[in-house]
Amino acid sequence: MAYNQQYNYGQQGQQGQQQYGQQQQYGQQQGYNQYPPQQAAPPPPPAAPAQTPETTLRHWFNLVDSDRSGQLSTEELQKALINGDWSPFNLETVRLMMNMFDTDNSGLITFPEFAGLWKYIEDWRTCFQAFDKDKSGFIDFNELKTAMTSFGYNLSDPFLRLIIKKYDKRGKNASGTGDVSFDNFVQIAVTVKSLTDSFQRIDTDRRGFATISYEQFLQLVVSNR
Amino acid sequence: PAQTPEATLRHWFNLVDSDHSGQLSTEELQKALINGDWSPFNLETVRLMMNMFDTDNSGLITFPEFAGLWKYIEDWRTCFQAFDKDKSGFIDFNELKTAMHSFGYNLSDPFLRLIIKKYDKRGKNASGTGDVSFDNFVQIAVTVKSLTDSFQRIDTDRRGFATISYEQFLQLVVSNR
Repeated sequence: MAYNQQYNYGQQGQQGQQQYGQQQQYGQQQGYNQYPPQQAAPPPPPAAPAQTPETTLRHWFNLVDSDRSGQLSTEELQKALINGDWSPFNLETVRLMMNMFDTDNSGLITFPEFAGLWKYIEDWRTCFQAFDKDKSGFIDFNELKTAMTSFGYNLSDPFLRLIIKKYDKRGKNASGTGDVSFDNFVQIAVTVKSLTDSFQRIDTDRRGFATISYEQFLQLVVSNR
Repeated sequence: PAQTPEATLRHWFNLVDSDHSGQLSTEELQKALINGDWSPFNLETVRLMMNMFDTDNSGLITFPEFAGLWKYIEDWRTCFQAFDKDKSGFIDFNELKTAMHSFGYNLSDPFLRLIIKKYDKRGKNASGTGDVSFDNFVQIAVTVKSLTDSFQRIDTDRRGFATISYEQFLQLVVSNR
């Protein structure tokens, strides 16, 4: 087992303190908050207008609100979110988005909540396009590594490979894809941030390791669903 | 009948193998697995099953792998029915507590409540359901076992706590997908 990894938040560097991203490295201050980093290289303007007029957004909302309840369930929300290749968002990412934007915890998304969610997704789309250097429509290992580094995370190559393996929905049969679609990219970034936040709440000294109890561990994992 | 004859199972396998490839993808597998109320298994549980039984790591389930998976599900169904004391078709907080205890886990009430909250797919709008369907029950049990195994690999002295690194922690969580 890579014992030296116990002292680092990443794989380079010998001093844990220094390595745990010089505080800012986790990108919290630099902009990896809920929104993609501001300093990401600005991409060429996407074909569709960046600003969706509220009426268009309202129209879209009504379109997917099949039972006309005025609010969106997870299933209805899934119809509103699509990838660059027109495939629907996977349900786990939809659920993640629901958890983040269902502020009144009703289990349904109101139009104001939906507007916030939509902006968030569009910001992520811009970010995704910026890191998809070869414009394949998918983020591969190197592009992911670049993205995570620019978000302030210092993750080892083996771990990044594990991420791709676990999130690449096309990968298993088609050898050599090893890349992730937009919905999975969002899911990865949000999950890594969420888990890092959880770990930091325990590792307040930023030593790169923490002592946790069995149930604390279970709770951390389950809370991240 | 508790025992599914191989021919019937083969027939069922062929039925859901829509592209006639002789193997099942995750989507095809999802069609084969249903809950007591005829709702399909949620995709996460299907994926869990795929991970457990796709022994050659091909991403597809062969018929022998499917036969093993089917038996496993049927065993779980028997177990579920045993703990569903009021025969509601769902496992509520108390039934879950009893089940986890009998599996050998000693989990706190707050944690069990968190589990129900996170896995109860009907819960958010209908106040007072607070229970889980069969597919979620299997997912909970398999996940708790898997996480406990992971934790025990680090906490070899069984002290109930362990020191882990940041990346070790990330890895443990991601590996459990």
